[in-house]
Amino acid sequence: MNGGNSRKRKAPPQQPSPEPPKHLATTEEDDFDEDFYLQDDLMDEDSQILRDIDERSAKLARLSKWARPELSQSYKSQSQSIVFQQLEIDYVIGECHKEFLSNRSGSAAIIRIFGVTREGHSVCCNVHGFEPYFYISCPSGMGPDDISHFHQILEARMREANRNTKVPQFVRRIQLVQKRSIMYYQQQSSHPFLKIVVALPSMVATCRGILDRGIQIDGLGTKSFMTYESNVLFALRFMIDCNIVGGNWIEVPVGKYRATGKNLSSCQLEFDCLYSDLISHDPEGEFSKMAPFRILSFDIECAGRKGLFPEPTHDPVIQVANLVTVQGEDKPLVQNVMTLKSCAPIVGVDVMSFDSEKEVLLAWRDLIREVDPDIIIGYNICNFDLPYLIQRATALGIAEFPILGRIRSSRVRVKDTTFSSRQYGIRESKEVAIEGRLQFDLLQAMQRDYKLSSYSLNSVSAHFLGEQKEDVHHSIISDLQNGNAETRRRLAVYCLKDAYLPQRLMDKLMFIYNYVEMARVTGVPISFLLSRGQSIKVLSQLLRKSKQKNLVIPNAKHAGSEQGTYEGATVLEARAGFYEKPIATLDFASLYPSIMMAYNLCYCTLVTPEDIRKLNIPPECVNKTPSGETFVKPELQKGILPEILEELITARKRAKADLKEAKDPLVKAVLDGRQLALKISANSVYGFTGASVGQLPCLEISSSVTSYGRQMIEHTKKLVEDKFTVVGGYEHNAEIIYGDTDSVMVQFGASTVEKAMKLGREAADFISGTFTKPIKLEFEKVYFPYLLISKKRYAGLYWTNPDKYDKMDTKGIETVRRDNCLLVKNLVNECLHKILIDRDVPGAVQFVKNTISDLLMNRLDLSLLVITKGLTKTGENYEVKAAHVELAERMRKRDAATAPNVGDRVPYVIVKAAKGAKAYEKSEDPIYVLENNIPIDPQYYLENQITKPILRIFEPILKNASRELLHGSHTRSISISTPSNSGIMKFAKKQLTCIGCKAVISGSNKTLCSHCKGREAELYCKTVANVSDFETLFGKLWTQCQECQGSLHQDVLCTSRDCPIFYRRKKAQKDMGEAKLQLDRWSF
Amino acid sequence: MEVDGEQILQRKHSHYHNLDEVFMVRNEVYKGQQYSQIYFARLHMLRTLLYSLVPHWKPHIPGVVVAFLGKESGAGSFLVHDILEAGLPPQIEKPLKLGDDKYVVFVSGLSVGNSTSNPLQFQLLVDHITGHLGDENEQRTAAEIVHVVIAGNSVEFARGLFNGQNLGSKDQAKLSEPFRELDILLTQIAAGVPLDIMPGPNDPANFYLPQQPLNRCLFPGSSAYNTFRSCTNPHSFELDNIRFLGTSGQNIDDLDKYSEAKDKLDFLERTLRWRHLAPSAPNTLGCYPFTDRDPFVIESCPRVYFVGNQDMFGSRLVKGPEGQLTQLITIPKFCETGVAVVLNLRNLECHALSFGTQFSF
Repeated sequence: MNGGNSRKRKAPPQQPSPEPPKHLATTEEDDFDEDFYLQDDLMDEDSQILRDIDERSAKLARLSKWARPELSQSYKSQSQSIVFQQLEIDYVIGECHKEFLSNRSGSAAIIRIFGVTREGHSVCCNVHGFEPYFYISCPSGMGPDDISHFHQILEARMREANRNTKVPQFVRRIQLVQKRSIMYYQQQSSHPFLKIVVALPSMVATCRGILDRGIQIDGLGTKSFMTYESNVLFALRFMIDCNIVGGNWIEVPVGKYRATGKNLSSCQLEFDCLYSDLISHDPEGEFSKMAPFRILSFDIECAGRKGLFPEPTHDPVIQVANLVTVQGEDKPLVQNVMTLKSCAPIVGVDVMSFDSEKEVLLAWRDLIREVDPDIIIGYNICNFDLPYLIQRATALGIAEFPILGRIRSSRVRVKDTTFSSRQYGIRESKEVAIEGRLQFDLLQAMQRDYKLSSYSLNSVSAHFLGEQKEDVHHSIISDLQNGNAETRRRLAVYCLKDAYLPQRLMDKLMFIYNYVEMARVTGVPISFLLSRGQSIKVLSQLLRKSKQKNLVIPNAKHAGSEQGTYEGATVLEARAGFYEKPIATLDFASLYPSIMMAYNLCYCTLVTPEDIRKLNIPPECVNKTPSGETFVKPELQKGILPEILEELITARKRAKADLKEAKDPLVKAVLDGRQLALKISANSVYGFTGASVGQLPCLEISSSVTSYGRQMIEHTKKLVEDKFTVVGGYEHNAEIIYGDTDSVMVQFGASTVEKAMKLGREAADFISGTFTKPIKLEFEKVYFPYLLISKKRYAGLYWTNPDKYDKMDTKGIETVRRDNCLLVKNLVNECLHKILIDRDVPGAVQFVKNTISDLLMNRLDLSLLVITKGLTKTGENYEVKAAHVELAERMRKRDAATAPNVGDRVPYVIVKAAKGAKAYEKSEDPIYVLENNIPIDPQYYLENQITKPILRIFEPILKNASRELLHGSHTRSISISTPSNSGIMKFAKKQLTCIGCKAVISGSNKTLCSHCKGREAELYCKTVANVSDFETLFGKLWTQCQECQGSLHQDVLCTSRDCPIFYRRKKAQKDMGEAKLQLDRWSF
Repeated sequence: MEVDGEQILQRKHSHYHNLDEVFMVRNEVYKGQQYSQIYFARLHMLRTLLYSLVPHWKPHIPGVVVAFLGKESGAGSFLVHDILEAGLPPQIEKPLKLGDDKYVVFVSGLSVGNSTSNPLQFQLLVDHITGHLGDENEQRTAAEIVHVVIAGNSVEFARGLFNGQNLGSKDQAKLSEPFRELDILLTQIAAGVPLDIMPGPNDPANFYLPQQPLNRCLFPGSSAYNTFRSCTNPHSFELDNIRFLGTSGQNIDDLDKYSEAKDKLDFLERTLRWRHLAPSAPNTLGCYPFTDRDPFVIESCPRVYFVGNQDMFGSRLVKGPEGQLTQLITIPKFCETGVAVVLNLRNLECHALSFGTQFSF
């Protein structure tokens, strides 16, 4: 690598004015377009840098291996249509294309579509001619003259609001169109609307603001307007109007495109075309496949200072590991690691070592440019790795580093965003926009799609891949870096693993397929799926459907009447108990979507009571919902939501049918991802109508849905209990023991699973018949035995065929809660196993008693008692004193280097402390506890950890559960270890005691007292057997970790607090030393 | 020394030199050391050795240090062309004293206290060694036995009895009975012949290799004789300048997990060629986490290399390129086969000595 030719450059030129309007939040309720300008003037100043890059890449022969396949002749001569799968759509502001749009001039929005062709060529398609617009309802009596007058007023107001923008005309044109609002049932098929076309996408929001606040019109006075579809992002607007869905294939026919004269992007194929010439292909057949995207998975390591989290202003980036794969191929294309200072070779990995940090960063930039990845993945890259690299480059003054996007001249910037959603909560994050490359942060995906006890890469990989990784504490990283080539190799292996695991997770969980399919089903760009909430997906579908139906969607914070909250789903009272007869479960198949379809619930079918009177709708044409709303029947007006749902459900059926017939595993993956996406989409429609801060909330719909749901559960309960009775000719009276949102649990009284299944099916068919189609009650499973604790908490064996149970199913029981110690989890699991599978209640009771006894006798492994909590902020910021925060403070006083930082997980155990000590004062570092023999507080564990979950399980089973389990002889024998460094022990004199009987011995005897002399052989065997057991354990645990870290000649450094071996091996090490000392006393 | 009638047979003697020092764990304590050090020590010792061998260029187990010849092919891959292993270690030339016959008896797996062990069989062995058996001819041979080596698993005791509680008197007796029995028999041997006893996997010793000598308190009777030596496992000694090296079998049994080779003697030969007694330690074979050395490296080639507790008796003479000669011996489990192994020091030939208690006429 040539580091000498990069002269100091002056700071990057300022952003060309005008500054785009600043908007802080991109929350769900507000979507804004932010205009970015093509940075033409940057080109010349940057050409020097670009030439630099060219020189550099020429010197690096390996870069050529990374390049994309060569373009064929027909592409070069533009004699071939370009068909590509698009991944990213954004827009920039640039000059109107002279050739395509001869009649226009000035700035205009140019849509850029990035994608990949079937051959693996990267594509940047500049689409011209598409203009931002929105609607307002046309005030009655407005003629063509009035419209042009209105246009002038609006234009003047716009000019006032955007003084800096140099655009010849702000409001391009205003057209009168015939449309209808989606809200409320209307008899007329259309009303006049005004379509306002503006020059730039960001002006939609400005213009909306002006119209919202009101505008002075001659003859009409000040009037404010309700705007329609003014909150649709420009890129999405374009996709909807051109019928493009996320991740589909687009064709630009030959002759309809022109290669750009001056290539602004680094894509192989860059061309201009007109938006009306695009052909969007439905994801069917050949076009359902995936293009060979290049996926880069990477991870960086930084050398932090002791006790501090790495900061880009101080701490260098020392390693970057990369793994590039091509979608659909097994072997990685590139696997390398870039290190600062030398690094010993690693099998199968291209190790690139550099002398300066600048070269490391630039080498990575070159990799990005040459490999040209379409998707960049990693673990927590969006909030850590990418911002860090960019900020570090700024700190080092490397101006040429952040050219990572596909646009040659544009530098990547970091900005802070807040994302808030009802489902996912508020998350603060950093956003690094890399133009033309899709970012996919596995951490975000995990947090969205899975509920896990810990989201560390280690525990996520352990959960999904069954693979642990070495967890190097960040205080050690600098030491490894400052060591020799071998220690840096060690770090590189660790870093590579961090780059490799996200790719494995991605493959294993089929994220590519599932997300692309979700984008195709809902029609939003793939990047929206991670960066936005649920409602944009429904909104996209709604907009597409409305467009077909000539409807427009109001931009309203509240559609329909405003009301606060509404009643949610019903839960029938749970009759807690342990059921030893089969319990049949009757489920409504996708209840909420079916209700919406069955009763035609939609924005456009909702009628207000006045309208019923006014429009004179006969009562037989409306449905009155249990919550008191009225919706017209489909004969008068078919709802849009029911139609969308129907399509989703039919599409899912088709996808499932195709899935059965598909042979090709890649096709299968696509279809499976699709059916899943369809299912999720169908279920999120209801949530969209109920989201009070959403895009178009309509509580009339959502409260009607839940009220129907409640009614149906009650109805089912009544029917089952009326029909299945002894009087009705059945063997037993059926009983509903529990019902939740969309399912009811029935005890038919039958004694075998088979009989219960037969009755279950009969009941499901019978009851389904009484509902409006397509609401359907399905019989799915039998629980036998079934332990019902309370509502939303139960456990049982799950049967779908009468011969063998499928699995043990638990809900709401402490098996995964993360602030419980492992002991509770193991105990609960084991008890449930004994009760449900072995049907051995006394065995379970005995097990609980033994465990409690072990706890009190201090015989438990410490790792079982460790509780972990995340440290989210520093001590002062917590209002209430918490155990883990206090401990972190205390550890910082002991040794600032290894103390947990904000963001780390703090493991602790509760130890015995002075009487009256607060709970938070009793926390202690498990390692410290091990080293100093500090006694744990068994009472705390018994009362605060074990008691509740255990009683919950046993109360339905045993009469005096508490007395039976928590009191009794097994709780009376307690053993507490003596701390080795407490105050009193410093004054104690140590004396040898007889190994046999603990009598104090003195004089020449060092091992046994005179009474025990005769038992020498026995006692020796005992000691030696003890040593031998510890040796076995020590050997197994330490060699396991030695193997796991992948290097035999270096010490195990891993401090993974999530790994159960960690504490055990620490403990084994200590026990071993003690046992050995005992044994040494025998050497006489 | 045995007295039989008028004729006095004098038991022969040979010069004994114990070389167990390398296997002793003395001042080493657990201070947080890990296994990386022993791996490192092994790599270091054997690497220097391999470097010296590279000029004479000529199947695999983790932990074996070998050199690979190859070239780097592109991005970090290494194409292996040939593998070099250490080969037989050099032998310190000490000429065999071609005098009279002198015998060494090897026995392993006595398993006193095991339900299958036959006390009579063991007694016959003892009587044979001490010269209480057979006619004059046999007694003459017995008088030529100069050394007895017990290669592990001498007793079997009920480990299950230890459950953290003190033992009742009944259990105490049950536990100490086998030891007493063994002690009595060993006393008989030690009274006449020098005796080396090595610990084995089932003995009351530590689990790790090198296993430390069995405590003398287990043998109150026999330990009174200076002919009784409690040794380490692995055990190394010299008799009349002939170098012996042996283990109680753990190292070879553990290699069995990695290989499908049938003949245990192959494993013996391999470990000798790798110049390492226990290549699978510490990975699957427990071993003490040494910090500064790897005691299992075979620095010089023994004349006799024996391994106890195997299924059957076997022996093979291995010749090295530099004239090294090593007799490999697998010693069967006595309690199952009733076979002990006898080695003649004069020519290093060995044969099985079989005891049966099935009387048939």
